[in-house]
Amino acid sequence: MALLDLKVNGQEVRVEAPDTALLLDVLRERLFLTGAKRGCETSHCGCCTVRVDGMAVHGCVVLAARCQGKEITTVEGCGDGMELDRLQRLFLEHGAVQCGYCGPGMLMAAKALLERNPRPTLDEVKKGLDGNLCRCTGYTPIFDAILAYSRGE
Amino acid sequence: MECKLIRPADLDEALAAREEYTDDGLPIAGGQSLLVMMRNRLVSPGALIDLEPVEALRGIEVQSTGLSIGAMNTCRQLIASPVLREEVGVLTAAARQVSSTAVRNLGTIGGNVCHNEPGADLPPVLLALNGQAVLRRRTHGREVPLDAFFTGYFETALEPDEILCRIDIEHPPANAAGVYLKHAISPEDLAIVGVAAVVVPDAQRPGAVAEARIGIGGAAPVPLRATRTEAALKGAVLDEKTARAAGEMASTEVDPGSDPHASAGYRRRMVTVFVRRALMQAAGRIEENGHGAA
Repeated sequence: MALLDLKVNGQEVRVEAPDTALLLDVLRERLFLTGAKRGCETSHCGCCTVRVDGMAVHGCVVLAARCQGKEITTVEGCGDGMELDRLQRLFLEHGAVQCGYCGPGMLMAAKALLERNPRPTLDEVKKGLDGNLCRCTGYTPIFDAILAYSRGE
Repeated sequence: MECKLIRPADLDEALAAREEYTDDGLPIAGGQSLLVMMRNRLVSPGALIDLEPVEALRGIEVQSTGLSIGAMNTCRQLIASPVLREEVGVLTAAARQVSSTAVRNLGTIGGNVCHNEPGADLPPVLLALNGQAVLRRRTHGREVPLDAFFTGYFETALEPDEILCRIDIEHPPANAAGVYLKHAISPEDLAIVGVAAVVVPDAQRPGAVAEARIGIGGAAPVPLRATRTEAALKGAVLDEKTARAAGEMASTEVDPGSDPHASAGYRRRMVTVFVRRALMQAAGRIEENGHGAA
């Protein structure tokens, strides 16, 4: 077991976990941040996407120990816990969330994309979300929400 | 049994750990494949030796003979590198096609090469760039040309006490053209076949090939160079007919397997198609620019 010092959504936490614990397991089972979802667990579906130092990563293939000293952001870090942030609101308005399982990962991948490229084309949005699967929406409402965000809506 | 995580401070410590844990230790680079294999119980190491802190495995150095790419460069870093884009744009292009954004953010060139999964995008390109694997063990180092490094299905020449430190590639001739074509159902999949072509035009005879190097992935247990096809192309004028014949010949040099993504016969057929296309694109680029850029 190891003691890990992590910074999650701006808060410093110390958590005990196996040496090679995965970030997803630490977030969900030790810190009870269940926004990042457990999906395929093999880095295909993107339900577990979180941001580490701004980059979108799949939490199921990241060692938590490696995230020490880095900024971890999960969907719980969006908005203030009561109010949704602008991108979350646009996801709602565009019907980008149906069953909701892919939503937290989609949001985190989209945020990473929009930070590096604030005015993405549709193709760039698709490429930015290439690590995230959605089985309900057919993607179009998700792309629409992200493009609306980039237009300042 | 719990798996230990060893975080060495530098290469010496990493090599010492590698020697100590020869039996059941594995080095972890980006972890994008290894952690999946552990999750699926395909490997159960007793210790992971974390290469992330090892500074000696980073950076891209420009040397007189070529480029030396640290094994811990992520695909994201390869894509962002101006020197790679300038000198070996074909490698940049292949790095862009590796898996998904999240995987490219963490997955490394060294991990990609050592995992040696059929259909990986970087190996065919690195083969066509005459890449060398720079290996170290605690007591000494050695260099292995990549075509000897890939030894079998998911297997490489890396010994259990060695670490892949760098991939060295030659400066391609200034007038060379490099192309990587990936054939996959969905772009983030592994390639059904991936073909890299680096074509060096003959400066004296317009249209003729001084040297062609063809790397093929996904069409055999290992990524390979189509050496007979390369020999046949030497000195030939690269037109549609030559490219078509080269594609046919290359398809006899591969040894594809069948899996749920594609049958062996289909893969072989796609080698014919994609070798032809890669060569024609390289020829087009040479003609367009007066010279290409690998």
